[in-house]
Amino acid sequence: MENRVDTAGINEHELKTQEAREQLTLLGLAAPAVLAIVAIIVIPVGWLFYLSFVGSDGNFSLEHYQKMVQYKSYARVFLITFQVSLLTTVICILIGYPLAYFLALLPQRWAGIFMLAVLLPFWTSLLVRTYAWLVLLQKKGMLNDFAIYIGLWETPVKLVHNMTGTLIGMAHIMLPFLVLPLYGSMRKIERDMMHAAANLGASPVHAFWKVYFPLSLSGMVAGSLIVFVLCLGFYVTPAVLGGGRVVMVATQITAILENQFDWGAASALGVVLLIATLIILYLAARLLKFDAALFGK
Amino acid sequence: MSHFTKPTLRVRSIIVAAGLAAFTTIAIAADPITVVSWGGSYGAAQDNALFNDASKNTGIAINRESGASMSKTCLQVQSGAVSWDLVVTGSGGAASAAAKGCLEKIDYSVVDVSDFYPNLYTDYCVGSDVFATVMAWNTDKYGAPGSPGAPSSWADFWNVKKYPGTRAYRANNVDGALEPALMADGVPPEKVYEVLSTTEGMKRAVNKIRELKPHIAVFWGSGAQQAQLMKDAEVDMSTGWNGRFDNARKDGARVGYTFNQALLDYDCFAMPKGAPNKQVAMKFLAEISKPEYQDNLPFHITYGPTTKKAYEMTTAPKDLIESLPSHPKNVPMMLPVSLDFYAKHRTEALELYMEMLSE
Amino acid sequence: MAARQYFSRGALILANDSNQSAQASTALPIHIRDLTKRYGQMYALDSVDLEIKSGEFLTLLGPSGSGKTTLLMAIAGFNRPDAGSIRFGDTEMILTPPHKRDVGMVFQSYALFPHMSVTENVAFPLKLRKVSPAECAERVAEALATVQLSEFGERGIDQLSGGQRQRVALARAFVFGPRILLMDEPLSALDKKLREHMQIELKHLHEKLGVTTVYVTHDQREALTMSDRIAVINDGRLAQVDTPHVIYNQPANAFVADFIGESTMLPLSGDSAGRLMFADQVVTTEAATDAAADHLLVVRPERLFVLRGETVDPEKTIAFDGTVREFVFQGETAFALVAVDDRHELSVRFSTDSASSQNELQPGDRVSLGLHREDVITIPDNA
Repeated sequence: MENRVDTAGINEHELKTQEAREQLTLLGLAAPAVLAIVAIIVIPVGWLFYLSFVGSDGNFSLEHYQKMVQYKSYARVFLITFQVSLLTTVICILIGYPLAYFLALLPQRWAGIFMLAVLLPFWTSLLVRTYAWLVLLQKKGMLNDFAIYIGLWETPVKLVHNMTGTLIGMAHIMLPFLVLPLYGSMRKIERDMMHAAANLGASPVHAFWKVYFPLSLSGMVAGSLIVFVLCLGFYVTPAVLGGGRVVMVATQITAILENQFDWGAASALGVVLLIATLIILYLAARLLKFDAALFGK
Repeated sequence: MSHFTKPTLRVRSIIVAAGLAAFTTIAIAADPITVVSWGGSYGAAQDNALFNDASKNTGIAINRESGASMSKTCLQVQSGAVSWDLVVTGSGGAASAAAKGCLEKIDYSVVDVSDFYPNLYTDYCVGSDVFATVMAWNTDKYGAPGSPGAPSSWADFWNVKKYPGTRAYRANNVDGALEPALMADGVPPEKVYEVLSTTEGMKRAVNKIRELKPHIAVFWGSGAQQAQLMKDAEVDMSTGWNGRFDNARKDGARVGYTFNQALLDYDCFAMPKGAPNKQVAMKFLAEISKPEYQDNLPFHITYGPTTKKAYEMTTAPKDLIESLPSHPKNVPMMLPVSLDFYAKHRTEALELYMEMLSE
Repeated sequence: MAARQYFSRGALILANDSNQSAQASTALPIHIRDLTKRYGQMYALDSVDLEIKSGEFLTLLGPSGSGKTTLLMAIAGFNRPDAGSIRFGDTEMILTPPHKRDVGMVFQSYALFPHMSVTENVAFPLKLRKVSPAECAERVAEALATVQLSEFGERGIDQLSGGQRQRVALARAFVFGPRILLMDEPLSALDKKLREHMQIELKHLHEKLGVTTVYVTHDQREALTMSDRIAVINDGRLAQVDTPHVIYNQPANAFVADFIGESTMLPLSGDSAGRLMFADQVVTTEAATDAAADHLLVVRPERLFVLRGETVDPEKTIAFDGTVREFVFQGETAFALVAVDDRHELSVRFSTDSASSQNELQPGDRVSLGLHREDVITIPDNA
């Protein structure tokens, strides 16, 4: 070992060149994605961040952020946004969990067919689905007409142009985002797990809560996060089904842009939403102990 | 209001204008200009009444786009990538954009506004049509306009005892939202903008809307929604734009409205600062502002022409003419929207309005 | 690594562990009668009758798809047979749901709960049985000690090697003192060395616990190593149920002879005296009762030996002359294929004695192979 002469081995240079070439190829393959992320996300977000600190006189200013403290509407809009997102997520879980469970129990072929039914709305335009709910839920909509016809209630019930309608529409639109990862994690739970739990003496209910549910949790957390975060930025559905009463951050941003063409003020809202979202995600991660998955160990 | 109803009588020969147009054609036939309007029936009406014929007559090729917006215009200007030449906008939007330095000054040596109603053009925009923000209601519920007992003022809109039922009001935009509240609160129309010029006045208006809020079932976000809400009888009374309610009635909606205490407003054409084809676009703007195009507009949408001359020239039936917001018979009943107020106070007014909305 | 750890601890410590009080439960016999399970037209179990004695180690052995796992799952209660009876002792269990059957089971995949630590996994059945925390901790510690994992209680499942997981699964299956223990190919995921040692360890564990154990495997060597009795199963039916010795030495039919151990089968024919013959070789000196039927001679490769010119007593030994086709050195043994006529070859296995000339067999060599008469196995050829 000590006497080893430091000369190149046979083909050492060629082998190194080959390795370098392969790594370069990999880098080349990743380059479009990296560039796209930089172009689509990093640069615009950075630009928005910059704009939010530019005042109406073109100099550095905190005026956009000061305004958010000055008027109560901003705090309320953020509160409504998080409230709607949280409620939508909860509704999605309540509906989506049993649905995903049912799908996971089906034989693969049938699960595929039913999954299609879940995904079908996915391929319909968001606007179409939203307006479809409006048609169904409004005062003289199909649901009210039908309920009155069969005598369920006598005068039309207000199902839309409020929080109820917004939540119905958003839960419907968000459902696949929850069901897909949840179904994936449920499919991965081996049948033996449930057999083992039963064999060890767990009743079906007990086996579900002690074994199945914890094992499906990763999919549920992933799905819930997707739903929650997507909800935070939702515009169309609350705008159409909320009747103008459910003012979310995106609505407020639009209002500022359309009325004042004030990109700085709108950017400031976006920046605050982004930061608030990150903080909430971080806290949730700490609380639910999935921070390793999200942020690395 | 007074100057609006007293037209100036400076008339320039149409022949001269036509000659100018012919000269224009020869001079600059090459580059198409980009004209941006809104989609739907509004854009279609402008295509049919104004753009297509003007393009044919002048030889100026146009590139038509939809999605006009002053915020996008300002973005183009600020980023130095202006691709639009003429953009349709509300008058208030134009005023705000001009205040931000996003618009070119209109060259009134090229565009002839001598027949225009005087406050339907500014340094930065030329009126394209006149509309009114009115109160509309379900005629089955409250009676036909003008019939005994039918609503006739903003006070009636607020009077839920006399007119029980649901209301719709503007969402996420303060334009035309505060004036009705003050009138309902007893402020005479001519004093409305005076009161609104202070924070207290704006708060008074917003508080009046706050008072009505429990009865406001829907806050509308678009003209299409105004029409839909009335058509589906989702609400019993709504604010909105007269043309939309006329269209809804044509579609069978049981809806009527009054011009009394309505807000008289106009849409206009503006030119982004640094528009790529400024000279040609200005000439095109001159062409479409002529009464011989303007008088076609009522056939396509019930928004009024901005030139008095168009009323003289149009072949439209009398009842249609008289239903237009800018018809001399209707104008005196209305409150013209003050661009000055919006230029100075829109930001604060919107904050106060959004505060009420988000509660 | 896992294997090394195992060796250092040794299987015998486990067997000598005197602390047996916790597992002082009585074993139960299992009576299976007429058990039938169909999947469509296919019979996974076809009227199976099986008596499993109290405390015995019985292996269900068969190729994949033979029905052995279906039978085990039926005993555990994971599938619903179409007909039949399964009794544990005197109690009919066929309608009892799995969580009330009180049998321990080790799964092929181990089925350890990944969201629980080793201790939590082992404590799982105890908590369900409302065992007090103190006793629970004691019994978990005891079970982990039995499988040599005392220091691993706090580990997560993903921090264990395959062999360690296997032993956790085992501890979890017996910690609650079941009177029946089921194992579904528990060693199939382990490497060969570890597997062979775990076989002995499991055997000792069975002796210690004394529970009735039903073990499923497709590995005949494993079955022979571990079982008190083997139930060879094929096409949903039991082919033979007996001790390893009998199964190996007296296979009841060609399937068992072929499936268990290595063998070459030669077709036999009866002569006028009713003796069974291969070519002109007398295979059975006494007349067979059913000589007219087709028979097969089952030759175990290790029972053959090379004759080196010495004369043999035909009363005691049958000799086959042939030509070496192939010779393979395999470490502790060597293997040769010898053609005894145009159509039949015999497999021969020798122990590799470095001094022996057997190591020098070359393809093409003429050899004479001997087979003691007591090693002759004949079975009816009902194929």
